[in-house]
Amino acid sequence: MAAHEATETRGAGATVPLEVRIGFAHACLQWIADRCGADLLHIKGAALDPTLVPGRGFSDADVLARPEHVRMLLDELRHHGWELINSFAYGSSFEHSATLRHSDFGLLDLHRIYPGTGPTPDRAFEALWAERTTTVLGGVDCTVPSRDAQALLLLLHAARAGSDPKAANDVEWVWTTVDDAQRIRILEWVDRLDAGLAFSVITGTLDDHRDDPAYDLWRVAARGGTRVDEWRARVRAAQGLRAKLAVASRSMLVNVEHLTIVRGRPVSRREVAAEFFGRPVRGVREQVARRARGIHRGDP
Amino acid sequence: MTAAYRPGPDAGVTRSDDGRSVYVARLPGGPLVVLEGVAALIWGEATSAPATGWVARVAELFEQPEDAIEDDVKAFVAELGARGLLVAAALEPGPED
Repeated sequence: MAAHEATETRGAGATVPLEVRIGFAHACLQWIADRCGADLLHIKGAALDPTLVPGRGFSDADVLARPEHVRMLLDELRHHGWELINSFAYGSSFEHSATLRHSDFGLLDLHRIYPGTGPTPDRAFEALWAERTTTVLGGVDCTVPSRDAQALLLLLHAARAGSDPKAANDVEWVWTTVDDAQRIRILEWVDRLDAGLAFSVITGTLDDHRDDPAYDLWRVAARGGTRVDEWRARVRAAQGLRAKLAVASRSMLVNVEHLTIVRGRPVSRREVAAEFFGRPVRGVREQVARRARGIHRGDP
Repeated sequence: MTAAYRPGPDAGVTRSDDGRSVYVARLPGGPLVVLEGVAALIWGEATSAPATGWVARVAELFEQPEDAIEDDVKAFVAELGARGLLVAAALEPGPED
């Protein structure tokens, strides 16, 4: 009788479709959350209501945790075979998610914030949590936002995806072609999640928000920019001098965990040093190249 | 009407679209087990109502006498049980095996 264990390292034997592994990643997270008392919502990917964007593909599992439960979840995940690949500070300009990997279940993005939502991460989560529903993933009932909230979350994701064709397709399905009633329901969620700035990318009115400290973050995310642009935007968006200094200092640090994954082996001091000096240099080179091409958009 | 067995309390189960494979994960840490062919059919009948006659249904699918396959089927189900992937359902009449 054919029963095989399927892990990434075994190679031989049965193969498991990626969407099946990801479904089990969601099931695993729900199992852990149920037992440690953490609140989380499964978002995007396998958890997305299939009627929003039919046939939409995915490559990892995304979950949004109640902010005060994130530390507990991270600790639990590490006890159950999940390896941290990228911590929050290094995940993206929005510092919103940590990436973990499991040998059986693949990649997971654990979000502590959903970029574009507010007014605080706690209140945004609570608004989504208050109207949660469930869907079955990996054979387990998993908590997900309401369908209309999912539609907005997908649009906010598209807002920071630049010219990605998949994001454009999402906008087409979830916003451009929907009827007025659906748009009104989405706009209600824009208000509830204080998502006006990020949503303005979708409506083409981002420049109406130039005075917002987070404007540059969304401008760079939506339209592109150099690494220097990106870090400048992160500093501007950070609230308070201490936070700004922390962001500025991080721009100079090296994420050794990530470098290890990229290299596939423990990194040497020499490699860490090379990366340390390489990143600012790379930023300068991009900036110089953009100035030379006359397309620099970082300064007013 | 209930089945003879159900997935373990710490097992997640997904079937392939074509129904030929059953993926069962021990939660939360794995492993992930793939059941194909005969194994998938045994899982399907063991977890489908009614409990009564489920081994006979497997035998019928493979055009074999029930007593010729019963020991192998029981051994396989026991292995899944030992892994925590399958447990006997709480039954009114009880499973026939």
